[in-house]
Formats: sequence, C-alpha cells, structure tokens
Amino acid sequence: MTVTEQEIAEYVGRVRAALADLPPALREELTEDLPEHLTEVAAEGEGSLVDRLGTPEAYAAELRDAAGAPDLKRRKLDQRVAGMVSSILGRLRALDRRLGPPLGYATGSDFLRLLRPGWWVLRAYLAAMLVTVVTTGGSLGLLPRFGGELLAGVVMLIGFLFGSIWLGRRSERLRRWPRLALHASSVVLVVFGLAGLADGERRAGYGGYDPIAVVNPYDQVRDVFVYDSEGRLVENARLFDQNGNPIRLGYPDCRDEFDPSGGSPQGNPLLRPYPYCPEQAPFAPRAPVGPSTAPALPPLSSPTATTSPSPSSTPAASRTPEPTATADPGATASATPTPSTTR
Amino acid sequence: MDTTQLLKGVLDLAVLAVLRAEDGYGYDILRRLREAGLEEVGDASVYGTLRRLFAAGLLTTYVVPSESGPHRKYYSLNAAGRDQLARSGKLWRSFATTMDALLDERGAAA
Repeated sequence: MTVTEQEIAEYVGRVRAALADLPPALREELTEDLPEHLTEVAAEGEGSLVDRLGTPEAYAAELRDAAGAPDLKRRKLDQRVAGMVSSILGRLRALDRRLGPPLGYATGSDFLRLLRPGWWVLRAYLAAMLVTVVTTGGSLGLLPRFGGELLAGVVMLIGFLFGSIWLGRRSERLRRWPRLALHASSVVLVVFGLAGLADGERRAGYGGYDPIAVVNPYDQVRDVFVYDSEGRLVENARLFDQNGNPIRLGYPDCRDEFDPSGGSPQGNPLLRPYPYCPEQAPFAPRAPVGPSTAPALPPLSSPTATTSPSPSSTPAASRTPEPTATADPGATASATPTPSTTR
Repeated sequence: MDTTQLLKGVLDLAVLAVLRAEDGYGYDILRRLREAGLEEVGDASVYGTLRRLFAAGLLTTYVVPSESGPHRKYYSLNAAGRDQLARSGKLWRSFATTMDALLDERGAAA
C-alpha cells in the first residue's frame, strides 16, 4: 500500500474543512465513513490519493454535488432561517443537557419541569393581584383585594389557585389556540409581576427619602458680627428666630484667652451675645475721619472686595531708602500702623 | 455536450442498476460503472451518491472484514431501492425512447 493512514487522515480533514459551511449533521453524514472508503480506494491501486482523486477541495465539491447537499451561498433565505432556527434549537438542547448534571438531573428542563406547580401557584397570585389593581385602581399591597375588600380578594385568590392548578395539569392536552392563549396570558402576568416588583422596590428604597446630602452652609461659621447702618460693630447682639428662640451660631474660641471670666452672666459660653470675639471683627471700627468717609463698610459687598483706604503698607515702609543706614529694619517693620483688615 | 452533465441526472439510476445484480463496496461500484462504460464518473460522485441513497433509505449496508486489506462496507438494494430502480428505470426508458425518436427524425444520429 503506497498510501499511509496519515495521508488519508489529512485528505479527509481537508475535505471536511471544505464542507465546513454545511450543517454539522449533514457534513457528518457525508464524511463519517470517508476514511474507510478512502482506505478501500487506497488498497485498490497505486499512486497518491491526490493523483487518483484530485485535490480534497475538488473531491469535496463533487461530493457536495453528488450528495445533493445545498451550497449554502445559494440557499434561499427561508431555508437559511430554518437552518438557523434548527441550529439554535440544537444548541439549546445541548445546553439543556449540559446544565442537567450540575443541578442533579439528566437535563436542565427536567429540573425546570419540577418547578411547574410552583409557577401555577405564582401565576394564580399574579392574576389575583392584576384583578386587585384593575378593581381598586392601582393601590397595591401584598394581599389581593377585590374592589378594596380583603376577604373577597382572598376568596378570589383561592379560586384562582385551584383554577391555575387545574389548567396546569391539563395544558399538555390543550389544542393549539387555547394553548397559545394560555402562553400569551402567562407573558402578560410575567410582565405585570416584574412591573409590580420594580414598583415595590422603588417604594421601599430609602424609606421614601431622597438620598440628598444636606450641607449646612452655617457649619463654617465661628462667630457673628453685627454692624449697624453706620458700619459700626454692634456688641452684645442677640439673634432670635421668628419663634423667639435664640439662634446659636459658632462657638467662642477666643474669650478664654483674653477674658477667663467670659463676661457672661449665665456661664454657658454658648448663650453669650455676639460677637464672641469682637477683636476678630472682619471690618475694623474706624475712627471718624470725616463724614464723607464714615460709611467704611459696604454692607452688600464681600469682605475680599473691600479695600481699606489706609495708605500704610509694611513692605513699602521698610523699603523706604534710609540714607543713614543705621536704623534697624526690624524696627521699621514693627512700626506698622493699625491693621485695617485682618482677613 | 459533456458526459458529466448527463451523468448528474442519471447517476442514481446507474448506481442502483449496478447494485441490482450484486452488492458492492464503494470502489467496487465505481469500477463496475467504469467497466460498463461510464469512464468519466468520479469517486466522490459515486461515494456521495451512495451516501445520499443510503440516507434516503434505498440502500442497506454491512461491513465485510477482509484478511488482505481494510474492512469493506458493502451496499445492497433493499425493497425501497428496488422500487425506486423500477420506477426510475421506466422513466429513463421512456425518456431515452423519446430522445432516440427525436434524434432519428432529424437524422442527427450517426
């Protein structure tokens, strides 16, 4: 024999590859005993397989022709769709078989079949809840009601239960249209159940409160400074809300250093009048320079925008040329005027 | 006209006819067809035709062990195959007669 088994296997492999577009079952049917056939052919004469039979691709084309196998590219659309459907069904069956053993059954559908009575109970409940929604107008609890009546709803649920189980045991024997109607209503109930589930989940979430982070804008307040219309700091001011309750903001963090007695008759530092620390006032009480410049505080503008009219600035003062060069620079720096702003 | 074109339509019938007298394995059937005069028939065509006829339920198979070479798969006609052969044979004869007559009238046949 001049043809080796390996040559035959190679030839068969290339023929199969050339038929790869065929449905697996058909390809298998065509080529399952091709190795044996080629072995017979090889035993009958001399020369390599390609010499005697042509290339594997040509052999595959002839085989496809002779066996009446359709060329997939030439098949009609409906045949292709049918082929696709059957291949999907085949794949689902394979999946079904593969899912079985992990669940402890021969196939996955064997397991699902055991759950069918559970579905019958569930669909009776869903149907009762659907009637509840229709008769009571949307307000949905967990128990069925009929027109708002709980007892009637429970009676209805029990009736549906028996009906559903009876229907479930008969559904195999139903004819085409009743069965289709049953399946369609099952789909409706499933959609209704999912919608109800989503609704309940939404209503249960966060106890009805929107999860918004509340930031108190007064958290940063440490002290309160009240100015009158003339821009003068008001000391010992008290703040009250519309009910006469004192408004407590900030905390006295400076008084103990300067005045251990606190100046507060109540002793509770939080009941002291504002400001706790007058010396930290953002706007300095200015000595009356003139009536025209008296309103030093523009009450409606932010503190950063206020520029003090005082001309003194320490760097400029220290940089003034000193011809004698005997003066200590530290002395000039310390000789700054009263600071007009602290922030 | 090409013989392979003609063969396509009648290879089923030819294979069934070859198997009527005696069962055969793939290469044997090919050899018989060639000896009968169908020299252009290809191995793949015969093999594919056998697979198709088998799938259609017209043939049965059995394996015969061989001492000198590989095991051989023999094909034989079953009742359905014989039926098919009779019907196709009748059809072919009437078709061939029609063609003969057609060619004779025109004097085309040499």
